[in-house]
Amino acid sequence: MTRRWQTLVAYVAAVLDATLLGSIVQTQFNLAALSALGADISFSTRLATTAHDLLGFTPLYGSLVAIMMLGAMPVASVVTRWLGFGAWPIHALAAALGLWGMLLIVDALAPMPTLIAATRSLEGTLAMMATAALGGWGYAILAYFDWDGAAG
Amino acid sequence: MRRFGRVLLTIVGLSVCTTALAVDYRFETLAEGLDHPWSLAFLPGGGMLVTERVGRLRLIEADGRLREAPIDGVPEVFVGGQAGLFEVALAPDHHDSGWVYLSYACGTLAANTTCLDRARFDGQRLVARETLFRAEPDKQGRSHYGGRLTFLPDDTLVLGLGDGFDYREQAQNPGNHLGSLVRLTPAGSVPGDNPFVAASEARAELYSIGHRNIQGVVFDETRSELLIHEHGPRGGDELNRILPGANYGWPLVTHGVDYTGARVTPFTELPGFEPPLLHWTPSIAPSGMTLYDGERFPEWRGDLFVSALAARQVRRLIREDGEIVGQEALFTELGERIRDVRSGPDGALYLLTDSAEGRVLRVMPAP
Repeated sequence: MTRRWQTLVAYVAAVLDATLLGSIVQTQFNLAALSALGADISFSTRLATTAHDLLGFTPLYGSLVAIMMLGAMPVASVVTRWLGFGAWPIHALAAALGLWGMLLIVDALAPMPTLIAATRSLEGTLAMMATAALGGWGYAILAYFDWDGAAG
Repeated sequence: MRRFGRVLLTIVGLSVCTTALAVDYRFETLAEGLDHPWSLAFLPGGGMLVTERVGRLRLIEADGRLREAPIDGVPEVFVGGQAGLFEVALAPDHHDSGWVYLSYACGTLAANTTCLDRARFDGQRLVARETLFRAEPDKQGRSHYGGRLTFLPDDTLVLGLGDGFDYREQAQNPGNHLGSLVRLTPAGSVPGDNPFVAASEARAELYSIGHRNIQGVVFDETRSELLIHEHGPRGGDELNRILPGANYGWPLVTHGVDYTGARVTPFTELPGFEPPLLHWTPSIAPSGMTLYDGERFPEWRGDLFVSALAARQVRRLIREDGEIVGQEALFTELGERIRDVRSGPDGALYLLTDSAEGRVLRVMPAP
């Protein structure tokens, strides 16, 4: 696999990873808020709501993550090259901080105080940042993997 | 069964909508160049008071001329986003008392809420102004204040409030005013028969809870019904018939989804929550409401008129015996966001267009 293709595959996988995990996590935060109000959320309702959000929430959120990763991953790669080690944690941290920055920008531009309800709390914001970190970590694994060596 | 009834009503309504007779009308521009006009009140001697969201109260004289200088004596208003000066309403005894009621956003970006003042209007300025009510708690941001009010025949008033957007779960908490309708005496105290008075953990001003952002309040004296509408998120705008002490479900129950596309809740109905009379999905963004009882448009008498921002129209809700049997989109040819609609004492319908160059329009029968 050429270097360029490997980077592209890693990028797409990272965006998908962070988007899908982020969608699943934000659904659970929203449902938890309803449970705290006394709502009885059955497993099937939780599953259906999570599935709904994977279709309804991901187009917008995926766009934000895709833009964020476009900036965060190259920066993480430069830092990794400069340090000479630590690709996995550096890319994970870059994605998490990138998402945090993206949320700040979106909330500053959008008419409402907080666009993504799950990020109204510190816990929710940290959880969403963790899903982005997993995306960044996945990017590092795929982008730095020696495919040619593994093949043979 | 109740749900089936609503579905049936919707079907009947749609058929009526298609057969509603068109009424010929024309527009007259009474005033223009107003910065996001929000509310309109008709003075007893002719003329009108108009609020601008940027914090100005303007006078349209009885001869139709817009007085250039804003009226002095308006409270300090927090302006920005949805925040600003909202409703102007005359006390039922305004002719004798001179009381004018103003709702507005008060505070700062970091800590603000909805306030209600009253002051005496002497024809030139507001005097003897006093703050009657301040919704609690303060909140951050510039969203969802409510602000519409109306007077009830029992010498009380009701004021619609919003959930502050980020605080939606608090609409279920009777311990604060977020996402509620409050009922007050004209002097701002709590009526003794308010539904939450006996509940020690609840705010005594509450009249109903579980609202997102109330933007229209009308009392139908013929049927003794209090009707409100409120913004949903993406979809789920609601028209509700208010029962004292009732819970209207937000955010546990809604037909809308969040602006991100995520579900706010998986439930569109649950036991213990009052269902809406109707909901608009997709949203029309209802912004004001009037019950037309004028003489100039006999076909419209008894119908509700709902101004809409996103839909850029006025939605006529056709009623028979108080039930909504159809809807008709009006004034779409203006192509403008409509902030308010009023039934004038002259039998005309009045509109406020929502822009930095907003207008006051009078709708009259075509000659």
